[in-house]
Amino acid sequence: MAVGFSSSVDTDETVISTIRRGLHEAPVLRNGLGLTFLLAAIGSGGRVVVPILIQQAIDNGIGSDGDLTVEGSVDVAFVARLAVIGLVAVLIAGIAFRQASVRLGERSERALYDLRERLIGHIHALSLADHSEERRGGLVARVTSDIETLAQFFQWGGMAWMRNSALMIIVSGVMVAYDPLLAGVSFVVAFPLAFVLRAVQKRLVVAHGEARERNGEMLGAVAEVVSGATTIRAYEAGEHMGGIVREATHRKARQQIRAAWIGAFLFPSGEVFSVFTVSAVIVVGVARGPGGGLTAGAIVGFIFLTYRFLEPIAEFTEIIDQTQTAVAGLRRVLSVLDMPIGPPAASNPVELPAGALEIVVDHLTFSYPNTNIDVLCDIDVVIPAGQQVAMVGSTGSGKTTLGRLIARFTDPNEGAITVGGVDLRDVDPAHLRDRLVVVSQEPFLFNASIAANIGFARPDKTSAEIAAVIADLGATEWIDALAGGLETKVGERGESLSAGERQLIALIRAGLADPDVLILDEATSSVDALTEVRIARALERLSSGRTTIAIAHRLSTAARSDRVLVLAEGVLVEDGHHDELVAANGTYRSLYDDWVSATTV
Amino acid sequence: MLSLHPKSFGLSFAGAGVFALATVASSFAIRWVIDNVILPRFDEGEVGVGAVVTGVVMIIGIGVVRAVGVVFRRAFASAGMWQVAETYTNQVVDRLVRQPVSWHRQHADGDLVARAGVDTETTVSVIAPIPFASSTVVMIVVSTIWLFITDVPLGIVAIIVFPLVVVTNVVYERSVSSHYTRAQEQLGVFSAAVHESFEGVQLVKAYGAQARETTRLAVLADDVRASRVEAIGRRSWFDALTDMIPALANIGLVLLGAIRVNSGDVTVGEFSSVIFLFTLLVLPLRLIGYALSELPRSMAAWVRIQAVVTEPVLPDPLDSVGRPEAGLGVVLDGVGFTHAGSAAPVLRDVNLRLAHSTITALVGPTGSGKSTLADLMLGLTAPTTGTVALAAGARSIVLQEAFLVAGTVRENISFGGTPTDDEIWNALHLAAGDEFVRALRDQLDTVVGERGVSLSGGQRQRVALARALVRKPTILVLDDTTSALDPSTEAIILERLRSALDATVVLIASRPSTIALADDVVFMANGKVAAHGTHEHLLRTEAGYREIVEAFESDRAGF
Repeated sequence: MAVGFSSSVDTDETVISTIRRGLHEAPVLRNGLGLTFLLAAIGSGGRVVVPILIQQAIDNGIGSDGDLTVEGSVDVAFVARLAVIGLVAVLIAGIAFRQASVRLGERSERALYDLRERLIGHIHALSLADHSEERRGGLVARVTSDIETLAQFFQWGGMAWMRNSALMIIVSGVMVAYDPLLAGVSFVVAFPLAFVLRAVQKRLVVAHGEARERNGEMLGAVAEVVSGATTIRAYEAGEHMGGIVREATHRKARQQIRAAWIGAFLFPSGEVFSVFTVSAVIVVGVARGPGGGLTAGAIVGFIFLTYRFLEPIAEFTEIIDQTQTAVAGLRRVLSVLDMPIGPPAASNPVELPAGALEIVVDHLTFSYPNTNIDVLCDIDVVIPAGQQVAMVGSTGSGKTTLGRLIARFTDPNEGAITVGGVDLRDVDPAHLRDRLVVVSQEPFLFNASIAANIGFARPDKTSAEIAAVIADLGATEWIDALAGGLETKVGERGESLSAGERQLIALIRAGLADPDVLILDEATSSVDALTEVRIARALERLSSGRTTIAIAHRLSTAARSDRVLVLAEGVLVEDGHHDELVAANGTYRSLYDDWVSATTV
Repeated sequence: MLSLHPKSFGLSFAGAGVFALATVASSFAIRWVIDNVILPRFDEGEVGVGAVVTGVVMIIGIGVVRAVGVVFRRAFASAGMWQVAETYTNQVVDRLVRQPVSWHRQHADGDLVARAGVDTETTVSVIAPIPFASSTVVMIVVSTIWLFITDVPLGIVAIIVFPLVVVTNVVYERSVSSHYTRAQEQLGVFSAAVHESFEGVQLVKAYGAQARETTRLAVLADDVRASRVEAIGRRSWFDALTDMIPALANIGLVLLGAIRVNSGDVTVGEFSSVIFLFTLLVLPLRLIGYALSELPRSMAAWVRIQAVVTEPVLPDPLDSVGRPEAGLGVVLDGVGFTHAGSAAPVLRDVNLRLAHSTITALVGPTGSGKSTLADLMLGLTAPTTGTVALAAGARSIVLQEAFLVAGTVRENISFGGTPTDDEIWNALHLAAGDEFVRALRDQLDTVVGERGVSLSGGQRQRVALARALVRKPTILVLDDTTSALDPSTEAIILERLRSALDATVVLIASRPSTIALADDVVFMANGKVAAHGTHEHLLRTEAGYREIVEAFESDRAGF
């Protein structure tokens, strides 16, 4: 499943099922929603106070004696009593409304916080295949901007839905209570508006979707101009690239304007229907006249109520769009929660034996999901405890994948891997990470101090313990030479340090973890030759006494190992000591010859 | 901003004016209907058909005119807004493509994209409500005058209530905006942390730190939540007040109106229409507050855009480049380079003459100034001191990280030029990329990048190299380009280059096999050319050079 970039138009069913699912996932929000709605309804009740007041005033206060031309004909005391009642009603409604907003706001924020936390946990548990570079932006967006569309919705749209739907229900009720016939006339005249709105709304959603796509294309084009600045300048292709961006920008603006025109018709359609409805009320009301028990106040009140009845519609048209965005965001969030997590945790975890660990790869076959090409085919290897093994092979040979499988970043399709006699799938993941550590030589560093980056391995270790590991790996001199020592900030992704320094930190970090199995993923890029020496020494000290598997890109590493495993197109083709394999004149020999010729002075 | 696209905004303001007048007129119509249709019918029992028709036509007519006004106001305000956004984006992009590389290096990529994208949208978001806001002002002024004409006490109520709504808005903005701003900042911190944590997911998994990381990020998410809840608590009071103030004013008006009707100063129709007008004005008044609240954010974004657009374009380094004498490709005389705002020079007194049609390897430890030297040879950077002379003709560079744009293979290779297909295939052949492109379903028309086929690092590298070669450069810089390729492919490519190209080629290299393919080596150390000569000569005479290139060998020998 893709990480949800659905752009299809939502049908009502999918919208409703998405919302239902969302509520199911957010009990904090769901519980007590009825009370929130009730409070919002009481709050909306405040909006009908004034029309009722006017009707009462006209019928019973002002027009009570039917003759308005005579001075002093108004029952001011009655109107004053009405005003006091109205005042109290408005205050109660206002407070109820505030309570409803606060309840909805607090609960939705709590629910979104919970959702964020779950989502982060889930994403961290996804397999590495789902964490490819192209998908990372999408995953970050799920936790940040997609949840934000929901937050936006709850801040404005959610309350608007509640109070407006409550308002429509209350107003219709009051209208029916005043005069069922006039109410019926109003509903019949206003009814077609629903169809008009739906038709326009659908087109608007499509238009907005396209506008967002055009915007994405425009940003992509701008990003190219920025990230490719050096190449573009060197090739004097600025005008050319600028032209591409201008076209993308223009396409975006055109689409936005198209959507704006549709929106411009949507909004006033409610107004047009209001005047039709009001006219119908006047015509029917006047035709019936006072005979049917109708009063002048009731008609005037009715006119006000009709506006009140259709007023929410204008707001609905505004919030429907926001709602669509939020539902789309929610769907993307749910689709991530539906992604199966990486290797599942063991149901009955088994403890690993103490001490050095033997690794057995037992008839292992692996292919990535949705492909039928075996990346690894029937691999069968026993690595005794404490052995230093190098895995070599050209790009695409499967050596990196095998390393990942042994680290249990993913599980094999067939066969098994056992560590210390225990199937990896039966080991508690946290326990496994205490005993087996993967060190990438293109390591990731957090934007923090060197100490924090080393301490990441084992946050409970003291700085004295960190210093001891540094001394052990022969890096004390290097740390001391840094202006800030261990407290030196490494910058984003460790960019203030050189590639070699980053590798050293990764090795020290692994040393602090003190694992029994070490999996080393060698860097492909070259680092400073002199730092290289320092790293090689640290590496040697780190790996001694531990079962070590190096995914080797440099054959010098292989030459130093106890044993070399040679992979070609997913198959283990050679297995032996460097010297034997060189003498055997096979795959390893040709890889080695290439390497020697590339590195010979 | 509005003057950038006067036609759209003119039409929008016209629509807004129609809307404002029609709104006030609609309350006249209601008043007329109440006084001339409803009351006569219910008080006197009779009303002429003519009066009813007149009333209905008035109400519908005014309603339709008002709706047309709204359509114009909204559509043209949005059209104008997006046109302004387009103009701003183009202004920013124009700078992005004209400013030299040194300028780009001083700005973060994400920040520049934001200025062309989200900042322009934020800036113009303040425009759309302007015609609406202006019509609201018109409505308020007209209705206040009208209320005074109708009845002075009613007018006084209006004068009190309208500003009260606006003041409530302003007070609200003051009290709540700091919380929203803080929440926004916290959201930024949270987002950055999430991005970092996902980027480092392999590390997180390797040390079983998922739970720890989730907790750390959840704390940041909770900061956002707490600030939001605080803001919501305040906003809910405001929302309740903006509902209550007009309602209370209406109740006051009913009471006051009753007294005025009683004294015979006001008719029932007038009384009702005043209240009706109030009802129509409530929503616009609330929206004005919302538009005002967007103003500071919009201003901040505008300032960020202007910073890029008004910054003078730095001189093109190429303008200061001279021409070398015949037979030479690159000549550097007494060249020094220091980054702006830095004291330590990157290059010092570099004198270099590279003969045309030669391959030179640029070797040196990290930070020795190799990349800066390459920039100078491409005319991407101007030296701080000394002069640079480059042979006439095109210059090409292929970076370690191949830069491809979203588009077809052909577009990526021609890159604004107009090579024939034969020339493109030829360049692909030189770059050892013809085979894999031929295997693609649409060959040169295959779309690469996010929405197309994803190429491997080596394949991207070859397309980028073909782009460099297709324009037949006189100067070609390969910045660690071929290190991702295996040594035999690398050798094939460089051999083809040597025979097919008439250019000064500079390789930034670290692999001995790559260096061995060059005619000459320039060894850089501490911002200076430490030695320039053949590989063999440098091995014999330069200890530092030997140390660097032999590092691989000593590594192989196990120290």
